Amino acid sequence: MLFWILVAILTAAVAAVLILPLLRAGEVPSSPHSHDVEVYRDQLDELKRDQDSGLIGSDDAELARAEVARRLLAAGESDRNVAPAGSPRRGVNRVAQVFVLLCLPAVGLCLYLLTGSPGVPAQPLAARLADPNTDINILIAKAENHLAVKPDDGAGWDLLAPIYMRTGRVEDAVDAYDRAIRLLGPTPARLGGYAEALVVQSDGLVTTKAQEALRQALSLDPNDPRSEFYLALGLKQEGKKAEALTAFNRLAATSPADAPWLPLVKQHVAELTGGGAGSGAAPGNPSAEDVAAADSMSAGDRQEMIRGMVESLESRLKENPDNLEGWARLIRSHVVLDQRDKAAAALKEGLKAFPANGDGGKQLLALAHELGIATDGVTQ
Amino acid sequence: MIIELGHYALVLALATAVIQAALPILGARLNDRGLMELASSAAVACFLLVAFAFAVLTFAYVTSDFSVRNVWENSHSLKPLIYKISGVWGNHEGSMLLWLLILTFFSALVAAFGRNLPETLKANVLAVQAWIASAFALFILLTSNPFARLIPAPGEGKDLNPILQDVGLAIHPPLLYLGYVGFSVCFSFAIAALIEGRIDAAWARWVRPWTLAAWTFLTAGISMGSYWAYYELGWGGWWFWDPVENASFMPWLAGTALLHSALVMEKREALKIWTVLLAIMTFSLSLLGTFLVRSGVLTSVHAFATDPTRGVFILAILVFFIGGAFFLFALRASHLKAGGIFAPISREGALVFNNLILTTATVTVLTGTLYPLVLEALTGDKISVGPPFFNMTFGLLMLPLLFAVPFGPLLAWKRGDLAGVSQRLFAAVAIGLLFGTAYYYFMNGGPVLALFGIALGVYLIGGSLTDLALRSGLGKVAGNVAWKRFSGLPRSAFGTALAHIGLGVTLIGVVAVTAFETETVVEMKPGMTVEAGGYTLRFDGMRNGSGPNYSEESGHFTISRGGVAIDEVWSSKRLYQARRMPTTEAGIRTFGLSQLYVSLGDQISEGGIVVRIWWKPMILSIWGGTLFMMAGGFVSLSDRRLRVGAPARAKRPKTVPVGAAE
Repeated sequence: MLFWILVAILTAAVAAVLILPLLRAGEVPSSPHSHDVEVYRDQLDELKRDQDSGLIGSDDAELARAEVARRLLAAGESDRNVAPAGSPRRGVNRVAQVFVLLCLPAVGLCLYLLTGSPGVPAQPLAARLADPNTDINILIAKAENHLAVKPDDGAGWDLLAPIYMRTGRVEDAVDAYDRAIRLLGPTPARLGGYAEALVVQSDGLVTTKAQEALRQALSLDPNDPRSEFYLALGLKQEGKKAEALTAFNRLAATSPADAPWLPLVKQHVAELTGGGAGSGAAPGNPSAEDVAAADSMSAGDRQEMIRGMVESLESRLKENPDNLEGWARLIRSHVVLDQRDKAAAALKEGLKAFPANGDGGKQLLALAHELGIATDGVTQ
Repeated sequence: MIIELGHYALVLALATAVIQAALPILGARLNDRGLMELASSAAVACFLLVAFAFAVLTFAYVTSDFSVRNVWENSHSLKPLIYKISGVWGNHEGSMLLWLLILTFFSALVAAFGRNLPETLKANVLAVQAWIASAFALFILLTSNPFARLIPAPGEGKDLNPILQDVGLAIHPPLLYLGYVGFSVCFSFAIAALIEGRIDAAWARWVRPWTLAAWTFLTAGISMGSYWAYYELGWGGWWFWDPVENASFMPWLAGTALLHSALVMEKREALKIWTVLLAIMTFSLSLLGTFLVRSGVLTSVHAFATDPTRGVFILAILVFFIGGAFFLFALRASHLKAGGIFAPISREGALVFNNLILTTATVTVLTGTLYPLVLEALTGDKISVGPPFFNMTFGLLMLPLLFAVPFGPLLAWKRGDLAGVSQRLFAAVAIGLLFGTAYYYFMNGGPVLALFGIALGVYLIGGSLTDLALRSGLGKVAGNVAWKRFSGLPRSAFGTALAHIGLGVTLIGVVAVTAFETETVVEMKPGMTVEAGGYTLRFDGMRNGSGPNYSEESGHFTISRGGVAIDEVWSSKRLYQARRMPTTEAGIRTFGLSQLYVSLGDQISEGGIVVRIWWKPMILSIWGGTLFMMAGGFVSLSDRRLRVGAPARAKRPKTVPVGAAE
């Protein structure tokens, strides 16, 4: 409320400043040439001073004076030709006042409401640090500052890792889980979280690195549902349908009836038994916004969205193939969509931009190897 | 709340500018005093509103308010305070706000100090200023809003681009913009004159201080930018003919031409139409520079803004103002009365010569800058027009101009005596050649062109001093009379001499560095030594360190001459944490006007590192010269007397000079 009062005061003050000259108006302006005449008079004075101080000879001064005098005469002449202005027009003045009074609030409010965020307070960092309350970003920043000084505080990393995951900072989550596991030792929760972060990082693909972590988690706790789920998903992505089906079925059987992941598991089972093409909606997507969008979509829409993204990525790479990360992502996405032939084709294209004997090419080949894409015949 | 209040102030500034753009022009038409006086109040109000918005944004930066997206994108809580403040204009949105702030500042100055202006002229000038302000305020609010919020606020910012975290770049943009935007006033005066269809000597008198101020600030801005690039980018170069540099150089060239032609107009009422055209051209080039840098059409070290919607918006602004101005010019120019006449050999003639060359040079630079863009747009081929093109074309163009500079102030108005002036300049020519030869002998083995260049530089300095000496009658009258005359010379005469001397000083620096610098690239291990410019550098080893928001590796070098250690220098490479971006901090030691420049490259083997060492003879005179030019600008600016160009019938040098003077 205070804000709107201040806005009103500011607008009114500016309006007053603008209206004032309109209200005062009365006198008729001096003639436009009187100023010129003044300048020329000054020039004549200046000339005299120059002559007196010996800066300019009398002949030259005479010539210059003649020139200035001509201009002076001309200016005076045109002054006489200007008709004296009539009395100030009341009507125009009134209209101008109304224009000022309307324009300020109209333009001001319309544009401000369009672009501004009324009601959002200023948030200086010092104040936020002093009283973090529920400000998750400040809590993270504080924890980060603490860990920057004491990087071997495993508990800190352990606490931070899932928060990173939730705020969409996947790279940092992978790093934090990794550190927590090294400092505090592996637990199913840490290993599962680490694997999940890896999966999201590689656009929903269960990589061999993630699978290793998942297996280790299961060796610690054979009934960890998250690890079971991702391992099963990995099998499905590799095309081992029978094994994947068994794994999903086992997970469904051991889960409590009201487990939140059951619908997803059942969906996968259905897809595997139905043999539908293009299955395997991945639980991880590139950015936090995409995830949020994907969450509210049906499975079909989600598949469409991924396809759309892959297509746009493909066309972008066609225009500008000098993008190693893009190629890696395209190959991964094709695998996620179960389009292994397309993945192989993308690899081939990518290797054109990054020859197999270069660093980039080697990275692509290593990726293909990890994903189980045939690399024969692409490196001739 | 304070942030949103700043945002609202900016919106209100736009509304005020719209009113200021519409009503005063109507007032000038109807000869209605109230409507015309509204322009002054509106200009001041608009400036105060923008200043408040700018202060609020600065406050957000200083308090690290990351709920403002712009602060989050360009600041970091650990940054030193000065870079938190300079971060305000170290990015696209903030620098556009600075642009607007300076524009409204100049409008407010016109409103406050323009009491001697005819009311209709003042109203029209302020209205044109308001058109520009409205366009840019709208641009800022719709495409580059620095007050956009980010909720929830992140806990830490992304930091300012590390190469911009430097004192040089903290003050470079404000200076540059004072120059760029200062020319808007000349533009507005030109447009106002076209609208009224009336222009005369008095007009030139009123425009003079604005041109002079803008030119001086632009000189300072360009010089500062060049020095920054020299020491911060670690390449050891001082001018790259980079499109962004050209973007600021073109208004400078055109502005220099404007300065000189406005002089002719004020004194002799000649070249009126040409002066108006130059005023339009100069600001158009400023706008073009803004477009080139801000739209992201260029890819270079400076271009830190990329967004096509902005590009299109600025292009629209560009087309409207430049196109509109030239259209108006075409419509009205024929109504303006042409002024005084003069012989080809005269002060006016010399100034026309100056104008011709400067305009040609501007067009040359413009071609070199835009050609790659046009080619890329048409064919998709990416080429770059580099220093060889500019050095050939621009360098050759400048030669005759530089030679003619000392003649200008010595020639008489209306009709001059070339032979007489040549005689008087003989001393300067002789001194120039003498110094050039001496320098050649001293550096022995230097290219012949360098000899000519140095001679030309000294001749410029000598010529300017000759002018002052002749005017005070040194040698002809008694010493005390000469001194009295000397101290009685108009300040603008000293301004001219200073600016022209500065040109010579800069030229000497440019030639010396180009011809005689040495560059050594070598892999060094601790204990190794390298010779450069007569000094011996010994590499002593590396040390790790850290600053508030970066870590650095520094190499230590001992400098000795004739076996005696006389100095030491640190050269470092920094890594800024937030952006994971490396920068070089070259180690620079100054000996007289020359510098030793040490820059670190990559670590190759154990303890060995690639080191680049330059010896830069006389390099400081490049920027030293611009200091002279600026001093000339300020001295002339302080001369509030009126100028009258007395036409001469016989040979004799006359009162007031050319140059930075006006």
